[in-house]
Amino acid sequence: MITFPGPVSALVSLPVPADREGIARILDLERVARDALPGVRATIPAFNRLLVEGSPSTWDPEEVEARLSAVAKECLAMAPEVEAGDTVSLPVCYDPELAPDLEDVAAGAGLSAAEVARLHSGARYTVLATGFAPGFAYLGDVDARIAMPRLRTPRRRVEAGTVGIADRRTGIYPTAGPGGWRIVGRVPPAFLADPTERISRFRAGGAVEFRAIGRDAYEAHSG
Amino acid sequence: MSPHGVVERPGPFCTIQDLGRRAGRRAGLAPGGAMDQRAFLWANRLLGNDPAAAALEITLGGFALRFAVETVVAITGARCAATLDGVEAGAWRTVRARAGQLLRLGYGAAGMRAYLAFPGGLDIATAFGSASAVVRDGLPGLLGRCLRAGEPLRWRAPDLRCPVRHVPEELIPSFPDALNLPLVVGYEWAEFSSADRDRVFDATWTVDSASDRAATRLAGPPLDTGPRVLDSTPLVDGTVQVTGDGLPLVFMRDRPTIGGYAKLGSVDPIALDALAQARPGTPVRFVRAEPDALRSALARRESFFGIRDEG
Repeated sequence: MITFPGPVSALVSLPVPADREGIARILDLERVARDALPGVRATIPAFNRLLVEGSPSTWDPEEVEARLSAVAKECLAMAPEVEAGDTVSLPVCYDPELAPDLEDVAAGAGLSAAEVARLHSGARYTVLATGFAPGFAYLGDVDARIAMPRLRTPRRRVEAGTVGIADRRTGIYPTAGPGGWRIVGRVPPAFLADPTERISRFRAGGAVEFRAIGRDAYEAHSG
Repeated sequence: MSPHGVVERPGPFCTIQDLGRRAGRRAGLAPGGAMDQRAFLWANRLLGNDPAAAALEITLGGFALRFAVETVVAITGARCAATLDGVEAGAWRTVRARAGQLLRLGYGAAGMRAYLAFPGGLDIATAFGSASAVVRDGLPGLLGRCLRAGEPLRWRAPDLRCPVRHVPEELIPSFPDALNLPLVVGYEWAEFSSADRDRVFDATWTVDSASDRAATRLAGPPLDTGPRVLDSTPLVDGTVQVTGDGLPLVFMRDRPTIGGYAKLGSVDPIALDALAQARPGTPVRFVRAEPDALRSALARRESFFGIRDEG
């Protein structure tokens, strides 16, 4: 489906699940769409959607719609190019002192805090989108047993490295700021990319693994 | 290298801005850029600069700069009593200054943001293709913070000989008492209740004082929070998002690239200029936009100011 959220932009939603294969298809679509359309200024892939922004002097919505739907059809007919590249591996400390929502998530799931930590760190995640803020990545899927919606009212401040859960997504706040995800752990900030060198350690389509570390190891990395 | 001028007082929020960045948007970098692009573009045009040359965005006045060289600058945007050594300097025009003179911008009489452009543009390192400061993104140096008192500045062509120019009276934008914001409906628009969709256009909203470079927040009758959005969606300039309290906000230059709340559509990108100058309390109404007309107006603006697509 193609919609037009602004005068010079198109949003393509592919009828595929927002998973590893879905983002792979969107990245394929992005590559082809950039060549198929004139004057593309920016593209943002996220989950099973692609935003295309064009130039006002060359943008013709009917033509854009025709070309994008042809390209989308093509991409859906092909096998997606699922990325096999590097896996980012990050240590996470699940100490309840650093993870104020861990007990709530555990209670909601009828599990112990340790089991929540085990389920959260036991999965291999796909980067389904990067963005919101620089360095943030939406990772999925979180085990359905520990999926929990965002807080109704976001916290005014969460620390850099905070690991949160929102429904079937998990992510790490790259810098301190307001945050509405359920906090279940923390990554020592030293493991997050310096925004002056590279915007993000994460690339859409890539993989991320967590390994649980104790409080001592967390403090040693944070010292 | 000796400065061409020193900021003696930056005022409450003074940053370096240009037309913003497209690089890095995929990875979450905010677009950034001048909040009132029309005023910014006029400032550069008066000096014959590249349309994207870096300039100062001065919020709410209270600004003073001491020149170290003889030069010429251009002032546009908010109405805020510019003086050079105490003598009225005018606005929407070029101003010649000698070494040692002090340029002041008083607290504004109308509007929010003034622009001060320099010949050739400010000489500053860029990141991801732009010199725009986005405070929340933590870019290095002046790309990640406001100017401070004592900040030395250099510009690229201090010796530029530029005739005195001013923007024709009929082209100087006014600061209206109330704004109409053309809205392109989209995103989750169709999933809001019909009562809420009517309310969006029937209500008079007011600009909330909690607005900043990331978003203009609107006060008014709360809407239902709209449909639950399962996965965050890429945002366009001027996206109107309805947050947990049911009130809409309009995303401005330092916006996030992806948003997780329900969205009504987006505001005409050109209308964001006037919105950027609207003071808290200004009444605002949404009117239905015709995307084709907005696009033609954007194309005319880009051609008039000589904005080109890079690469």
